[in-house]
Amino acid sequence: MIEQALVSVENLAFVSALRNSTYMYPLVNAGHILGISMLVGGIVPLDLRLLGLWRHYPVMVFVDVLRVTSAIGLGFAVVCGVLLFATAAVDYAASLLFQAKMALVLLGVSNALILGRVLKRQDIRSFPMKAPMPFSLRAGAALSLVAWLSALLLGRLLGYF
Amino acid sequence: MPHVRFTYLLGFAVLAAFLAASAVHAHHGWAWATDEEFEITGVIQSVRLGNPHGEVTIDVDGEEWVVEVGQPWRNDRVGLSAEMLIQGREITVHGHRSAKEGERLIKAERVVINEEDYDLYPGRTS
Repeated sequence: MIEQALVSVENLAFVSALRNSTYMYPLVNAGHILGISMLVGGIVPLDLRLLGLWRHYPVMVFVDVLRVTSAIGLGFAVVCGVLLFATAAVDYAASLLFQAKMALVLLGVSNALILGRVLKRQDIRSFPMKAPMPFSLRAGAALSLVAWLSALLLGRLLGYF
Repeated sequence: MPHVRFTYLLGFAVLAAFLAASAVHAHHGWAWATDEEFEITGVIQSVRLGNPHGEVTIDVDGEEWVVEVGQPWRNDRVGLSAEMLIQGREITVHGHRSAKEGERLIKAERVVINEEDYDLYPGRTS
């Protein structure tokens, strides 16, 4: 059933066109990388700030700016990623690396959503400038770093195994 | 400052992970294959053309080999199409074999079907 659905995804006209294209496929590939670079490029400094680095800069500057750029990056990565997946849906779906990567992405997204709520509930905005972050936030930031960097690593390994 | 020390530790762990990953054999290009010219003839079993590169599975005396052909434009340039790569047809592949011991994987430079040459890499000797 699932396999049939995946095969019909691969056979969609625009998916076949993408699979056999000269320029579109590398362009979508580049879009996926752009999304990842925005996502990871934002999430790493944000998480490091929550963990205690750069404490003489206001934490909310990191939160307000980097949360937005990271979310936009995630959007790019997901849209382009879905297209890349569709060109070889059966193979990707069967790949353990791919499944693990998807689990990590889900973990990263849910962790980010929870972190957002904790930030609000703990009222970080009213913290004094150099105050260390509460343990829940530091734990969430560490988990975030591990989840996103591992997802990136697995994604890259997918191309080689 | 225990927080900062923890952060640096984490940074080093991440760096170590990336260095380890970069040691993984690169699959694109020719670096993963041996330098030696390789030739093999078999019968086409299945074909999957498309990005990032096409794959033709062939049967050689009961053993399955995977032949990597080009990306779409490279195959199109020499007229190597799915209609040509029909199951049961004999194909001779000139190229380079995977350097991984026991792996039956070839990157094709040139394939021969019905005595016709399809030279995917005209700039390389094959």
